[in-house]
Amino acid sequence: MAEPDPVDLLKFITRRLALSILVLVGVATIVFALTRIIPSDPAALYLGPRARPAEIADIQKRFGFDRPLVEQYGQYLRGLARGDLGNSLATKRPVTQELGSRIAATLELMFAAMLLAVGIGVPLGVVSTRLRGSLGEAVVRVTSVIGVSLPAFWLGLLLQLLFVHVLGWFPSAGRVDAGLRFVAPITNITGLNLLDTLVTGNLTAFRDALAHIVLPAVTLAAYPIGLVTRMTRAAMLEVLSQDYIRTARAYGVAERRVLGRFALRNAIGPTLTVIGLTMAFMLTGTFYVEVIYAWPGLGSFTVRSFLNVDYPAILGMTLFGAAGYVLVNLLVDASQALLDPRVRVA
Amino acid sequence: MTKAPSFVRFATLALALALLGVVSAQSTTALRVASTASVTTWDPSLSFSTEAVYLANIYEPLLWANAAGSTEKFTPALATSWETSADGLAWTFHLREGVKFHDGESLDADAVVRSIDRHRAIGGAAFIWAPVSDVVAVDAMTVRFDLAYPAPLDLIAASLYGAWIVSPAALDAAEADEGYFEAGIAAGTGPYTLAEYQPDAEVVLSAFADYWGGWAEPGHFQNVVVSIVSDQVLQEQMLLAGEVDLALSLPPTSYASISADARYAVQTVVTPFNYVGFLNTVRAPLDDVRVRQAISYAVPYDDIIAVGAEGLGTQGRGPVPQGIYPWSEEVPQYHQDLDKARQLLAEAGHEGGGFTLRLTYAAENAIERAFAPVLADALGEIGIQVEIEPLLFNQQWAIAKADPVEAQDIFLLLYWPTYSDAGSDNLWSMFHSSDVPFFNLSYWRNSVFDDLVDRAIELTGTDRATAQALYVDAMTLLVDDAAGLYFLDAGAWYAIPTYLSGFEYNINYPFATFFYPIRLAN
Repeated sequence: MAEPDPVDLLKFITRRLALSILVLVGVATIVFALTRIIPSDPAALYLGPRARPAEIADIQKRFGFDRPLVEQYGQYLRGLARGDLGNSLATKRPVTQELGSRIAATLELMFAAMLLAVGIGVPLGVVSTRLRGSLGEAVVRVTSVIGVSLPAFWLGLLLQLLFVHVLGWFPSAGRVDAGLRFVAPITNITGLNLLDTLVTGNLTAFRDALAHIVLPAVTLAAYPIGLVTRMTRAAMLEVLSQDYIRTARAYGVAERRVLGRFALRNAIGPTLTVIGLTMAFMLTGTFYVEVIYAWPGLGSFTVRSFLNVDYPAILGMTLFGAAGYVLVNLLVDASQALLDPRVRVA
Repeated sequence: MTKAPSFVRFATLALALALLGVVSAQSTTALRVASTASVTTWDPSLSFSTEAVYLANIYEPLLWANAAGSTEKFTPALATSWETSADGLAWTFHLREGVKFHDGESLDADAVVRSIDRHRAIGGAAFIWAPVSDVVAVDAMTVRFDLAYPAPLDLIAASLYGAWIVSPAALDAAEADEGYFEAGIAAGTGPYTLAEYQPDAEVVLSAFADYWGGWAEPGHFQNVVVSIVSDQVLQEQMLLAGEVDLALSLPPTSYASISADARYAVQTVVTPFNYVGFLNTVRAPLDDVRVRQAISYAVPYDDIIAVGAEGLGTQGRGPVPQGIYPWSEEVPQYHQDLDKARQLLAEAGHEGGGFTLRLTYAAENAIERAFAPVLADALGEIGIQVEIEPLLFNQQWAIAKADPVEAQDIFLLLYWPTYSDAGSDNLWSMFHSSDVPFFNLSYWRNSVFDDLVDRAIELTGTDRATAQALYVDAMTLLVDDAAGLYFLDAGAWYAIPTYLSGFEYNINYPFATFFYPIRLAN
């Protein structure tokens, strides 16, 4: 394969970056318009239902809600350019601060779910190809279909019922036990509790944080596990039919080595693409999971913002999600462009 | 022997560690609580929402109002005694000596004057001080409130909103930086200070060592960790699994099962929350009092209480909740009588009904969600079709406030008084005439009602018996004119683990749970 031309690659990435910015501005415009179409008064929301008309008028003036919509939109975009997403109507705090204080919780949950998706999905996909035609393969296929089909909110409730209420194996809510800080306080380094407790050797807190994350992570991982299993299996089946695999087998290479060293390495590409895009999917998955398990992350904040018709928070979270999705897509496209010149030409 | 892949070994080890058990302990180190209460502000002046759960343990008012039926109407807080002038226009409060604020400042008259002045100027509940024309420091430990017209200042001073006394140093800081309190500053005199706050996740309160009430008696909790959990079922799971000691909002459907559980002492209480339905009186056919009365007779009150509140509640007598002044047993109630309802409809020219009404309710309110179809079915019995429209409260609110002629026909609302005077609050706010409706979403206008309520408000501070009689007349008129439907005064229930004592619900502070009196039973 020819070496990629750095100039072509740079052009490609610049073009995609410009498109990404356009996408984000488009998202901001649509969501801004949608939130303002909803019949509600942001000033009244800010003050709560018991506000007097004079107080509402005062807030409308103070925050510019009384100005023409186009002017408000321009003001919002100017703020956006400065990294200012405005203040939440419900909490009165800057939206950037609200997102910042919750992002670690969500990332930790997503990483844990991704670890499960890769750690379970890839081996299952590989094993199912080895078990072709057997009952084992059928079990794997059915399991992966169930994983893809089950709604996260239903699975979450079911797991909670079984493992919390009936068996009592895991805690039902939150990131750590309410009393943990008095027994084994966590030193905040990255905000990722599992990592921070491991780094500091705080095993009591690690154990507690782990117990709390198991059920939410399994719930969030169910869909990606199914997807990764199916994708790995399909890619493996294709690779296993190639001549070089047949040759390797003919040379008497152990099946384990054929699958792991030769087949999986070549089949993992499409799976990695799916994994990357699944990260973006997971962000919306956290909406259900975080509410069900009272996980204090971006998902529960977003749901609360929708219920409160909290415009700035909804806009901020939507933009954040869109930016995440665009970034992942950009990275995937860039890596594909790096590997395959045909993508750059297209 | 072949080894399992490393990730499998790691996952197995991690899971095994997790299953060894989580941290939990019953000691006075920490009381663990689950609550739905999120924090909209830490500013004691601006506070007008659910953060009252926390502020009521951080700050104190001059007086605490006792629950109905108590021997004394008030418990002294930062004022030890108080008196009013004969004309009810001057109220004098004598302050408690030796009280410290969390930041080390001392309580004095100046702190009280400045706190109340700030509440009056910028408070979320500033309106409660409307009768006050001036607040004066008579001497270092005495404060006088001068009123423009008589009002029950004892009740106002005991409000859960807009009546906290705040450290003067913090007030100075807040003058320079209006967002000062939002960083999580505790500047009260209460038994607990704010130690930590994670938005929508957790609030940690720690004992204030210099609290004037002292910590000498055994069993007090040194910390209170409140997990903010919006889902009632999840709160129940946390309680049953021992993850929390107290769950402040349990699902009504679990009342029977937890009542039968010997680990808990269950308390059922009357709350100041009442559910009403505003009937749009400016638009046909509800502009006809006979149609409104017909609907009032068609409402299945008992079914609504059974289905909506799992039996935890009583039928309302007007918009004043039971247990709160000026509730009275003399106020009449409607009872379901479908024949009477049909007869009234016929008299109004709507024999057999034949019209459709649009009902809106707050989709996030489980009780309204449960009983709205019950109400619709009952109205269907007399030929009135009901289009039920669940909306987020904020949207429901915006539509109702926009244009009464285009608004809903029936607006379901959960309401409670700001402080323990439902005359000046519920009756005035919900049904007094106004050009721009505040909470009067029936858009009802009645000058006789207005006059009765206005007079009663002025007399409440000096002649409460006469004021009560005027209120009863006003409420009777209101019920007769059927401007609203009065479904239920809601009850509530709490499951207190038997290892705890001292939990007490006070109807005057429905959003507050006082942690200081709660102790380990043994």
